[in-house]
Amino acid sequence: MPRAGQILWELRHIRKAFPGVVANDDVSLRLHAGEIHALLGENGSGKTTLIKALCGAHQPDAGSILRDGRPVVLASPMHARELGVATVFQEFSLVPTLTVAENIHLGRWPGWRAWLDWPRMRDEARRAFAAMEIQIDPDAVVGELSVPQQQLVEIAKAIALEASMIILDEPTAALGLAEIAHLHALLRRLRAQGRSVLYVSHRLDEVTALVDVATGLRNGCGVSPAETTQIEVGAIVASMVGSEVKEHYPKERNATADLLLEAEGLATANGVREATFTVHRGEVLGLGGVLGSGRTAIARALFGLDRLTAGRIRLADREVPARGPKDMIRAGFALLTEDRKADGLFVNFDTPRNITIANLASIVRRGQLDLAAELRLSHAYVLKLQISSEAERKSVDFLSGGNQQKVIIARWLHADAEVFILDQPTQGIDIGAKVAVYRLINELTRAGKGVILISADDDELLAMSDRVALVRHGVVTRIEEAQRLRKAELVQSSEITEAAA
Amino acid sequence: MKDISGTALLGPLAAMVIVALLVALTTPRFLEAGNLSNLVLQVSIVALVAIGSTLVIFSGGIDLSPGSAIALLSMVFAVMVKLVGIDFWLALIATLALGALLGSVNGFVTAYLRIPSFITTLAALSAFKGLAFLFNNGSPVFQVSPLLEPIFYGHVFSLPLPLVYVILAFGAAHWLMRYARLGRCIYAVGGNPRAAHLSGIDVRRTQFLAFTIAGLMAAAGAILMAARLNSGSPNYGAGLELQAIAAAVIGGASLAGGRGHVLATLLGALTITIVQNGLNLNGVPSPLQSIIVGVIIVIAVGIDMWRVELGRAFGRLLPARASTPVHKEGA
Repeated sequence: MPRAGQILWELRHIRKAFPGVVANDDVSLRLHAGEIHALLGENGSGKTTLIKALCGAHQPDAGSILRDGRPVVLASPMHARELGVATVFQEFSLVPTLTVAENIHLGRWPGWRAWLDWPRMRDEARRAFAAMEIQIDPDAVVGELSVPQQQLVEIAKAIALEASMIILDEPTAALGLAEIAHLHALLRRLRAQGRSVLYVSHRLDEVTALVDVATGLRNGCGVSPAETTQIEVGAIVASMVGSEVKEHYPKERNATADLLLEAEGLATANGVREATFTVHRGEVLGLGGVLGSGRTAIARALFGLDRLTAGRIRLADREVPARGPKDMIRAGFALLTEDRKADGLFVNFDTPRNITIANLASIVRRGQLDLAAELRLSHAYVLKLQISSEAERKSVDFLSGGNQQKVIIARWLHADAEVFILDQPTQGIDIGAKVAVYRLINELTRAGKGVILISADDDELLAMSDRVALVRHGVVTRIEEAQRLRKAELVQSSEITEAAA
Repeated sequence: MKDISGTALLGPLAAMVIVALLVALTTPRFLEAGNLSNLVLQVSIVALVAIGSTLVIFSGGIDLSPGSAIALLSMVFAVMVKLVGIDFWLALIATLALGALLGSVNGFVTAYLRIPSFITTLAALSAFKGLAFLFNNGSPVFQVSPLLEPIFYGHVFSLPLPLVYVILAFGAAHWLMRYARLGRCIYAVGGNPRAAHLSGIDVRRTQFLAFTIAGLMAAAGAILMAARLNSGSPNYGAGLELQAIAAAVIGGASLAGGRGHVLATLLGALTITIVQNGLNLNGVPSPLQSIIVGVIIVIAVGIDMWRVELGRAFGRLLPARASTPVHKEGA
């Protein structure tokens, strides 16, 4: 399809190397006015490096950036903003103690020197929100907003810039369905205004529904400047992973009739009101429901993070005292938290230490830690879970999201967990790593473990679960075979009940 | 693993050697046997106290109280032996136990009452000092016991005893941090307390124990301090907390917690002591010494912070070595 808009921004033969790795090699990209352009690729394929070159955070070693056909040098983030580049980063760049209006104008406060022009700041913030058709109080303190709201503020910050190019790095990872719909509508409006949008997402449904053009990156090189509106999911996945992936969700059905976990009438002060469900050996129980419906709160209750005010938990026919994570780990629970970096990884530890930390007793020999045994067992997990061999040389901080996730799974396998609670296990990781996580789920169920899966991705939830428990306002309202549930039904039932409440 | 701990010690070791060379160049007296053995005595107290400060820093906290704890403990010890007449060795053990108790108070307030350690130990710095002045009307106690001085000035196999204490204490601390579960938990809690909690580690207990050990090490410092002049005084230990923290930081301990090597703290303590010794030998007045030590602390942290940039700069200076060795963070 011919594209109407002229070329606003162009990257030519961009190359950027870091010590030991070429992050971008000969990447070229054209952004037309009025186009939403997807940038796809596995973690480590060089997307972030490319974005950083565009927003002025660092300089390419070779190649050129052109705006309206003229070469420009984006010397600093400030400079890039002046030239019309707005970036929404995956990790928030908001100051939690300042108000929404202050954040939106961060670094470019209107007004004379030290004096802030408050009415103008509020006005511009309101205008940005009006353009997005959302309502957030410009005077609210950012730290007190919910995560989706913060994400919207982050986006409003970019909108307020009146930029000609808007870069969004995984903007929907923290958003619920309604907010995603809002965002998509907004991006389409921006497109209609003739701006260009560079969009990074791991969610294929989004890519196919939203974007006009996609460029895939692999190992730092642009592989598929697929200049077409016909975007085929399989082709995108293949171009990124490098081999044809026939099935996104390689679900194995390993559920047995053997009862593993019984949760009866769970309630906590933190949002669980009445949760009754069971998990069998080899089964994946999905927890479905909208953001804030209490799914994560159920996970917290099961792991002993919130005190139970009512109900009981039985694991393999034994009552479990839910006094704290220590007890629950000993009983056989594992929790993979949503926020891998903040509450999962120890970036100060190497891979072996990250794996053994939840079960140090296992490597104690004659009263002290057996470091050689620790290395051996870590090596065994690296092989078994196909963790990148880099994991044995680099700090876990430098591993890709998928490999970090595997390191944490190895930790819980080593802790002899029976029930794996996976809270958004594939959030923010690329498709290749997602498939690897699905295979891990299969492996867990094959070994007779029970899995409780929480996911914001409804396709994933339905495809990977054996049964789905629908959660609303902290109550498990219905448990259904996943195959019998339809995505629309899942969304509908939770949204309708949400609206009715 | 081994090479990682090796590189973590290399930087502080190089810094110490450079400082020692500089001092040796400015004054020939530095390398005289008398001065060197004096240096060992000087470093021993800071080094022992710094073990505690380092462990607290590893656990993600900070301890500003050991200087005042030393004042209080030296007074309590001296009063027990000289004025109350308690058996010397019993009093010594009681002092060590009391030190651990003071540390555990810091630990309890920080870990269980959730007061930030900076505030807790700042308050303790003030309170311990005040307590010290409540004994013997705030006057020093002299001539405590004939048994006391040999603890500091004695020898075993012709090694000065303080050197023996330092070797034993650092050996134990190194074992603790590398081979004991508690040590691993201290690193974990300092590195990521939330992840530690979710991994089943008792975060509060770990922090509590780190402070308790710090209190015990302050007591060891107090006894050596008392033995050095055979006296107890409420003015002992002033400013020692800063030297101990400086030793840890020069040794590369990250104030963010979770990273560092306890043996490097010994190198850090030696570096500071050598600097002070060199300045003394060169007749630099003590106010100026304090200023210089302050500047050195900033440079030491700076070298850690600007590692990448410095590496690149040196790489340009030494074109023969194509690749700059990447400094690995020791765990």
